[in-house]
Amino acid sequence: MDFYFSYIVLAEIYVLLGLSTNLLVGIIGIFSVSQAAVFGVGAYIVAAFLMSGTLGFIPAMIVAFICCVILNILLALPSLRVSGDYFVVTSFGIQLLATAVFINWTAGTGGANGLPGIPPPEILGHTVGEAWEFLVLVTVATGLGCLAFGLILRAPFGRLLKAIREDELAVAAAGKNVLRAKVSAAALAGGFAGSAGGLYATFMSFIDPVSFDLDASILLLTMVVVGGARTLAGSIVGPFVLLALPHVLMLIDIPTTIAASMRQLIYGLLLIAFMLFRPQGLVGEKL
Amino acid sequence: MSIYLEAVGLEKSFGGLKAMNDCSFTIDQGRITCLVGPNGAGKTTIFNAITGFLKPDQGHVTFKGESLDGLSPQAIVDKGIARTFQNLRLFAELTTLDNVMIGLGGQVGEEPFGAIYRPFHTARAQAAKKRAALETLEHVGLADKASEYVRNLSYGEQKLLTVARVLATGAELLLLDEPASGLSHGALDGIMTLLRRLQDEGKTLLVVEHNTRVVQRIADDVLFLHQGHLMARGTPAEITSDPKLAEIYFGGVI
Amino acid sequence: MLALQLFINGLVTGSALGIVAISFSLVFSTAKIFHVAHAGVYTMAGYLAWSLVRYGVPSPLTLVIVVVLCAGAGALIEWQLYDRLKQRRATDLVILIASIGLLAVMQNSISAIYTPNILQFPLPWASQVVAFGGIRLSWAEILTVAFSLSAYATTMWFANHTNLGKRIRAVASNPFLAEITRLEPRSVYVYVIAIASALVALPGVMVPLDFGLQPYGGLTPLLTATIAMIAGGVGSLHGAYVVAVAIAVMQNLCLLFIPGEWSVGITFFIFVFFMLFRPTGLFSTAR
Repeated sequence: MDFYFSYIVLAEIYVLLGLSTNLLVGIIGIFSVSQAAVFGVGAYIVAAFLMSGTLGFIPAMIVAFICCVILNILLALPSLRVSGDYFVVTSFGIQLLATAVFINWTAGTGGANGLPGIPPPEILGHTVGEAWEFLVLVTVATGLGCLAFGLILRAPFGRLLKAIREDELAVAAAGKNVLRAKVSAAALAGGFAGSAGGLYATFMSFIDPVSFDLDASILLLTMVVVGGARTLAGSIVGPFVLLALPHVLMLIDIPTTIAASMRQLIYGLLLIAFMLFRPQGLVGEKL
Repeated sequence: MSIYLEAVGLEKSFGGLKAMNDCSFTIDQGRITCLVGPNGAGKTTIFNAITGFLKPDQGHVTFKGESLDGLSPQAIVDKGIARTFQNLRLFAELTTLDNVMIGLGGQVGEEPFGAIYRPFHTARAQAAKKRAALETLEHVGLADKASEYVRNLSYGEQKLLTVARVLATGAELLLLDEPASGLSHGALDGIMTLLRRLQDEGKTLLVVEHNTRVVQRIADDVLFLHQGHLMARGTPAEITSDPKLAEIYFGGVI
Repeated sequence: MLALQLFINGLVTGSALGIVAISFSLVFSTAKIFHVAHAGVYTMAGYLAWSLVRYGVPSPLTLVIVVVLCAGAGALIEWQLYDRLKQRRATDLVILIASIGLLAVMQNSISAIYTPNILQFPLPWASQVVAFGGIRLSWAEILTVAFSLSAYATTMWFANHTNLGKRIRAVASNPFLAEITRLEPRSVYVYVIAIASALVALPGVMVPLDFGLQPYGGLTPLLTATIAMIAGGVGSLHGAYVVAVAIAVMQNLCLLFIPGEWSVGITFFIFVFFMLFRPTGLFSTAR
């Protein structure tokens, strides 16, 4: 039972994280392979507070949320000043830089060895220790995230973002502030990623830079592509499908030495296949 | 009468090409002014300069005494000037109604905070805005196409939609880039009637047009542009009967 | 004289990086594709050469074979992937995601086949050192410079003095016009990517002669080369090459002051800074 709970908890955390990439890449159209970095920042912040005992779980999550909102605004700003192609380099650069910091700043992040022994969350005096308790917590958090995402899509803001993706200049000509819309969407995406990071840190009780590197960002991209861009359904389907994949692979006899490479290879194949044959993903809209 | 819109000494070069060459003109309030001239004369460049899409190398534009220099396109819309595009630039993935609603200002829920924390207020406010947008569509005669996607509209209807979109912004000075080009006879009459009606309602129009018949029928003033410079200004009769201008425009007398 | 040695090393690495930069620039300014998978071709070149050398193929022949194979690979990528996507009117984002997928497939295939560990070329003569004037250079480094400069000169001659070169430049400056005249941009694109892949095979083989082979080692040089391309002004091959050399020299000289892991990070940091404040590049004739 615990195994299934773990799968669902992890999938839900990635749903929350995926909302961030879906918002940036799918809805606004800002290319981003750096959401895993923001995910990591959220995770390290919550871990640091919990391990040093300075803040409880909820306050730590709030701090992580705010920091990641600000971080994402800063990260999105270059994209808003230059055309899409140049931002691609910036996004890769940010992700690689972040990984370098995670690995080398041993004092803050435990370096390549990571941070073990992150305590479980304590909410209103109750410790969330069991797998099913975690399931409740994460389901609530992710549920809120999905609610927010859905409300955005249905509100005038969603329509505005859709129009911006199609034709920014025409939106400006209609008198709307394009920059402010994009920045606020990027900010929200940061919030999603940071919250997911905090949940991840406490659930796994151990984090290291490997979970937040470029491969992780590519996995996120694959989730959005496979699930489908720009829809809530796509954001939910993607992570559940992609996280089931490693378990399916385990049924095939693949030597452990190449297991990680094979997984990444399959993600790559999925990206190519979906872009060629089904750009709208399983339940999304065309990218 | 104070000056409504004034452009003074506008200059703009793209590489070796001078798109605006010491271009100066004024627009009077409440009139329909047509901007004519051969292709490449710089008409769209002027639109871009007035509406903040382009920064002139030299010169400035003032509107009701206020300078428009350095303002962003959205700030200029706030001041009361809105423009259409020659190639329409409608939002293909949105419905007709949504295209108009993009133009409506002051919307609740057009940023994440309102959308997430006040969903019910947003929904109510949206209903009111929707009614306003439908009225605008009725005004241009597209009310029955409100829930259609743009690709299902005829070319003439799409042109009307671009006008609806600028009307939604509430701007008092409308810059229309070739609103009548490519239209069938029936649609042509419809657009001309609409433009005259907008004038009756107090709007000022600056219209780029190639069709001399349209110009003759709706224009109060005509500005003749050539090689980025204002060559002549007068009534439609004066401009269209001037053989020198005809030569520039057509390469011969009309 | 450590500084001088570092400087010379920077020139060596830079000459190779310059070839990566101009080959990427060829593709980007002509086909308007952000060909991330170029890093995969670069990596593939090194491993192919390694395998051939392992089987006893003489070095000069290996180089020729690898260059030809890479050209073929490039042509295949354009023909079967990018062209298909463009025929379906895919957006730049879709093509970019497909390219990332392809890179993941290439890198991870190599990792699965050759293991993720660093491999060295079994060529003792390559690491033999020549010393003069207080500087030490290995034969691998000398050859790197020789081949890179020759490739650079050949590319410039080709672009300016051959029919195909002129066709390529014409398509690059006005793809729309090229489409409606008889320039046949689609076949030009195949040629361009083939040539670019052939070019990048050179540093792909030369650099690992010095530093060893790694499956995931292609992305960082590619991104650095992209930064050089942008900073030098897109569309200027000279600009790309010169800035690439400058960046490599700077990275090397930085080693005097900061630990190795950060020198690459500095480059990205400067680039992000650049993007915020001077996105048009140093030689801002290009947009």
